Amino acid sequence: MALLEVKDLDVRFAVRGGDLTALRGISFSLDKGERLGLVGESGAGKSVAAFSILNLIAQPGYIAGGQILFEGRDLAAMSERELRKIRGNRIAMIFQDPMMTLNPVLTIGTQMVEAILAHRKISKKEARAIALDRLQKVQIPSPEKRLDQYPHELSGGMRQRVIIAIALLLDPEIIIADEPTTALDVTIQAEIMDLLLNLCEQENVALMLITHDLGVVSQVTQRMLVMYSGRIIEQGPTREIINDAQHPYTQGLINALPQMGEPGERLFQIPGSMPSLKNVPAGCPFHPRCKFATEQCKQAMPEYVRSGNVNVACYEVANLIEQEKRMQEAES
Amino acid sequence: MTSPLVSIRGLEKRFDLSGSLLEQITFEGGRFRRKQEAVHAINGVDLEVQKGEALCVVGESGCGKSTVARTVMGLLSPSAGEIHYDGQRIDNLERKDSLPYRRKMQMIFQNPYASLNPRMTIQQTLEEPIRFHHPDWSQVQVRDKIHEVMHSVGIDPDWGSRFGHEFSGGQRQRIAIARALAVDPEFIVADEPISALDVSIQAQVLNLLMDAQESRGLTYLFITHDLAVVEHFGTRVAVMYLGRVCELADTKTLFSAPRHPYTQALLSAIPKLEDDRPNHIRLKGEVPTPVNLPSGCVFHGRCPYANERCRQEIPQLITTDGGTQVACHAVEEGRL
Repeated sequence: MALLEVKDLDVRFAVRGGDLTALRGISFSLDKGERLGLVGESGAGKSVAAFSILNLIAQPGYIAGGQILFEGRDLAAMSERELRKIRGNRIAMIFQDPMMTLNPVLTIGTQMVEAILAHRKISKKEARAIALDRLQKVQIPSPEKRLDQYPHELSGGMRQRVIIAIALLLDPEIIIADEPTTALDVTIQAEIMDLLLNLCEQENVALMLITHDLGVVSQVTQRMLVMYSGRIIEQGPTREIINDAQHPYTQGLINALPQMGEPGERLFQIPGSMPSLKNVPAGCPFHPRCKFATEQCKQAMPEYVRSGNVNVACYEVANLIEQEKRMQEAES
Repeated sequence: MTSPLVSIRGLEKRFDLSGSLLEQITFEGGRFRRKQEAVHAINGVDLEVQKGEALCVVGESGCGKSTVARTVMGLLSPSAGEIHYDGQRIDNLERKDSLPYRRKMQMIFQNPYASLNPRMTIQQTLEEPIRFHHPDWSQVQVRDKIHEVMHSVGIDPDWGSRFGHEFSGGQRQRIAIARALAVDPEFIVADEPISALDVSIQAQVLNLLMDAQESRGLTYLFITHDLAVVEHFGTRVAVMYLGRVCELADTKTLFSAPRHPYTQALLSAIPKLEDDRPNHIRLKGEVPTPVNLPSGCVFHGRCPYANERCRQEIPQLITTDGGTQVACHAVEEGRL
């Protein structure tokens, strides 16, 4: 059994004039110790997907359907009281901006001890020892000193290390990291990613990494899913997707990277931009930007088809697979 | 070699932190003391931008790259040093005399949500610079020009009556580019023009900038932290660290054979698609604050090759055999 299994998740936002569907039919699973990447551009729904796992989507957002099974129990159907026992304890989160996550008027030590005591019945002294241990694990220089410092006394990279230390406090099964290095410089980003990856491997923690950076995904994750307009359009082993993407959007996303182009030549570009939730086109949401789009694509959302180990939602890919099959049959 | 279009000579820029005289005075050990502090954003930068090239300035936050851009544009005045445009010194001109240069030099900013006036329609946004620099133009001339630039950036001219908020980020950045192009500039300073945009939109805007360069013969000073973009877009690259240029080279040379230890670390930190794990050169510590600059080479505290000389003496840019200019004692002494 997978550690986390999301089945057919629908998330909607109730706004004036009807509901907006932010997520539609999201299904994926995460095994123990596995690293999964969620990729997409802004507005694709990757953060909503991550937040809804711990039911952290604020009003007017709500989970309209589906299941979120964590060790077999449905988080979507749990009471707030039960959920609080899991949040931050069994499943921890790391957010993009460390300054927004840390309380500016409390010392690092106070915040860490508070988080431990919320879940464990131990003394303050013991909690402080755990906090110190985690700060050592994230390789912060002079960790004892940091416990008594305030967030503003630390640099951006150091704050993100503290955040990772806090996420590790209660030995979680899963860490959900939402763009953990986007606000940081490249050299610091590389160090933080390296640290996160090593810690997850050492402690056998599963990682769900949300990012728009395909380079980071390929470095850190084993499997990835690509989101577009609230749907998963492609998911499978990271290496397979990066090397041989099936969905036209994923292909476009990879080919649009400057490192894929010839220096000085025009880059590959996907025309247009992602539709807003208010006017998601019928059928495949990508069809207005897709060069392979046919009448069929405008009618209904394509079902997932399997190509290698990758699941893709695209009629074009389905047709190609179909053709190949027929050719093989004709040959034999 | 022809004379450069823009040359930056011995540029320094400090931002005073200490406030008024009263705020500077402190009482220490029985005596009053006056304490002055400044952020040393740029500490002696020399750069030349050749006609028709795209000179990229890269570095991490706080290295002074944006300050260079703003000082070149005259949005900040230099603390020391000179800016020359086409042979003429421009940083000390009177307002009236600087007008023709302001038409020739335009700027594109990072955040298209902040750089467009929310209370102006696109038509008004584009009309303002044209009318300002060409007060003698007729209504028809202005309108034709607006249509021409909107076309060239791929925005439908019929949308002129809309406001900025009605457009997506990518479209807004196109409009900001149209505004810069509206007065037919020769030189464009682009400060992180694609950093706020999504990947698929970044490619669109980068293509647009390259098309404009080709069709209008533009010269760019391109400020960015994204090295992948630089490799694709830049003719030459200047790498900055703590207000100094540490390496300057042709794009190809810099990416194939980086000389400065900081450049090497920076290049190794770019996450690449073919990587299965992060494999970067580890640097000690973090970027020091530009308030108290380290003595000697600004990079010595994090450099694996630093020795006593690096801690004492500021390295100057020297030209190596490959044509790369690099400010590093280790390279100069052949240790690296």
